[in-house]
Amino acid sequence: MNDDLVIIITAGLTATACGLLGPFLVLRRAALLSDAVSHAVLPGIVATWLLLHTRAPFAVIVGGAIFAVLCVLAIDGLRSTGLVRSDAAIGLVFPLLFALGVLGVTRYASGIHLDLDSTIYGEIAFAPFDVWTIGGVDVARSIVVIGSIAALNLAFVILAWKELKASTFDPGFSQTIGLRPQMLSRLMLVAVAITAVTAFESVGAILVVTLLIVPGATAYLLTDRLAVMVALAVGIGWIGAVAGYWGAVVGDSSIAGTMGLVCAVCFALALLVSPKYGLIATAVRRRRRARATATALAAER
Amino acid sequence: MGWLIDLLPLSYTDAVVVIGAAILGLTSGVLGSFAVLRERSLVGDAIAHAALPGVCIAFLLTGAKDAGSLIVGAAFAGIAAAVLMVAIERTSRIRPDAAIGVVLSCFFSLGIVLLTYISSQNNANQAGLEKYLFGQAAGLLERDLVVMAALAGASLLFVAIGFRILKVALFDADFAGSLGLPVRVLDVAMTVLLVVAVVIGVRMVGAILMVAMLISPVVAARQLTHRLRTLLPLAGVIGAGIGIAGALLATGSELPTGPVVVVVGFCVALAAVLLSPGRGALWRARHVAAERRRAAFEGVLLEVETAMHAGPPPTVAELRLATGRPRAQLTRTLRRLERAGLLRRDGAEHRLRLTEAGAAAAHELEQRRDLWAAWLEHGASLELPDAREPDPRDVRASLGDDVADRLQELAT
Repeated sequence: MNDDLVIIITAGLTATACGLLGPFLVLRRAALLSDAVSHAVLPGIVATWLLLHTRAPFAVIVGGAIFAVLCVLAIDGLRSTGLVRSDAAIGLVFPLLFALGVLGVTRYASGIHLDLDSTIYGEIAFAPFDVWTIGGVDVARSIVVIGSIAALNLAFVILAWKELKASTFDPGFSQTIGLRPQMLSRLMLVAVAITAVTAFESVGAILVVTLLIVPGATAYLLTDRLAVMVALAVGIGWIGAVAGYWGAVVGDSSIAGTMGLVCAVCFALALLVSPKYGLIATAVRRRRRARATATALAAER
Repeated sequence: MGWLIDLLPLSYTDAVVVIGAAILGLTSGVLGSFAVLRERSLVGDAIAHAALPGVCIAFLLTGAKDAGSLIVGAAFAGIAAAVLMVAIERTSRIRPDAAIGVVLSCFFSLGIVLLTYISSQNNANQAGLEKYLFGQAAGLLERDLVVMAALAGASLLFVAIGFRILKVALFDADFAGSLGLPVRVLDVAMTVLLVVAVVIGVRMVGAILMVAMLISPVVAARQLTHRLRTLLPLAGVIGAGIGIAGALLATGSELPTGPVVVVVGFCVALAAVLLSPGRGALWRARHVAAERRRAAFEGVLLEVETAMHAGPPPTVAELRLATGRPRAQLTRTLRRLERAGLLRRDGAEHRLRLTEAGAAAAHELEQRRDLWAAWLEHGASLELPDAREPDPRDVRASLGDDVADRLQELAT
């Protein structure tokens, strides 16, 4: 397979996996969980190295995933005491895990080359060089791994669609009809954690964080329907993947960074020109209303 | 600063770090309150990530890795990010967390793009720019302390002078607007203060870990008070305490200061969340358990009495059948009733019988419950001069004897 195509497909599949979950994070006011997870995996990497002395992708993913899940569950636990709001809970837990990771690195692993860039914070540009041979065909590892995560997320979102929808918009109602929203929200957080960790390893942390938040937020500006929102989020992610790769090649720049910037541009555009919630539409509506009021007043006089 | 450093029984470098951590904790505790109370705790996260493009641009403009210019670059990028975040939140339906997330990922993506651009320039000087995101407390100088103290003093003074205005804008922005206060300016001012706190902390603990420094003192202080007037100084004191304790621990065990301070801060916040009197999670759990025990105690007492009236004194098995209480709860409660001298077991079958004290207690309890029932039924017709709501467990004590007597009359 052509190298360019591998990178674009890898990024697109990441966009799919993230776009399926991102809207729910945005709607549940937990968008920053993705960033929290991206920092919380550090102690997992250090622990994997200390226990197994390996930096093999699989072991690192498992180690990182354990701490990522720990992180989201700890946040959920803190929040469910009702004493700490969701954002503060996030901000308490992930720096702690990050700090533990830094302490682990300085205490036990300073001699070896164990830094974030080379282990879990992967670089998407290297995706084509890591190839698996499946049934005589060479396939990039990242495509297989992220493709299966995307498929799992798709299955999760489709199977739990009604439940997710109910518990996102009205947790009280979904509790009443026996859906156990807390259980479901934990399940979703675990899905986010696993998606993030797996994708970090292939495409880098910042791209995953961006793809989990920005397309979801952009779609939120464009529509009021959940299904449309999820589809839009995936689509915007793909736009970011394709246009970002093209921009990076033209400008000889960081691929992940440019993809992130393209997503940011999409967000800015939606903020400006969204037909219902955009700044322009709101301004026009306000002006029209002011004029209508003015004419009505004039007519009365 | 010299005299303060001499005053401490520590080596020069340790004293500098401890004083720095104290200043940082104090400032971030006070300034962080404004973020945490508005559900914007993670603004610090966005500002921290925005430092990367700021540092890159400062480097591109000056061409040198001078700490002063880099920090100015980081501060300006932080302010830009904060203003952008407030603008997104105010003008659209995007909520604070998503606004922070969008700004964070945009700025960091920009930072990475700039970083690749810089490294393609073949400037040997550029190595390690990204390391700026993780602090280095050991490199702290007395000169840095003076700068930190000046910034901290200025921002704390601002908060002290504008306390009332900031309070109104914080809790009720609409009301503040109707009073003619410049709400938007205040909003931006509060966020700029946060940028100041993050900039103070960047040298000490690093940008990422600064996020926690803004939050943990406030979360801890919030468990101990409901008033902003006490929350701000309390958060400052707790923050300073966290900073000092963390710095001392770190210098004692030769670990990096930032992470140790953050771990200490988390422990303090967690302890407050679990243990704070009247509010903490463990305290509440204990309270609920005690209430449950009391309810079971009184319930079983009355049930034994009812059973004794209905027929021969019941055995434990009969009582369990009649009440449907779980076996463990019933055994435990009966034992406690016995220990209190309200119950004894008679004969070979261990039939349960109330003692004289037990009968009196049951009678009194029944009276109290009747009084509560009477309050529910006739309370409205009493026309009390004030809107008192009595304690259901003891109506007589909370309403006074004459009102209780009138209630009893009404009920009979």
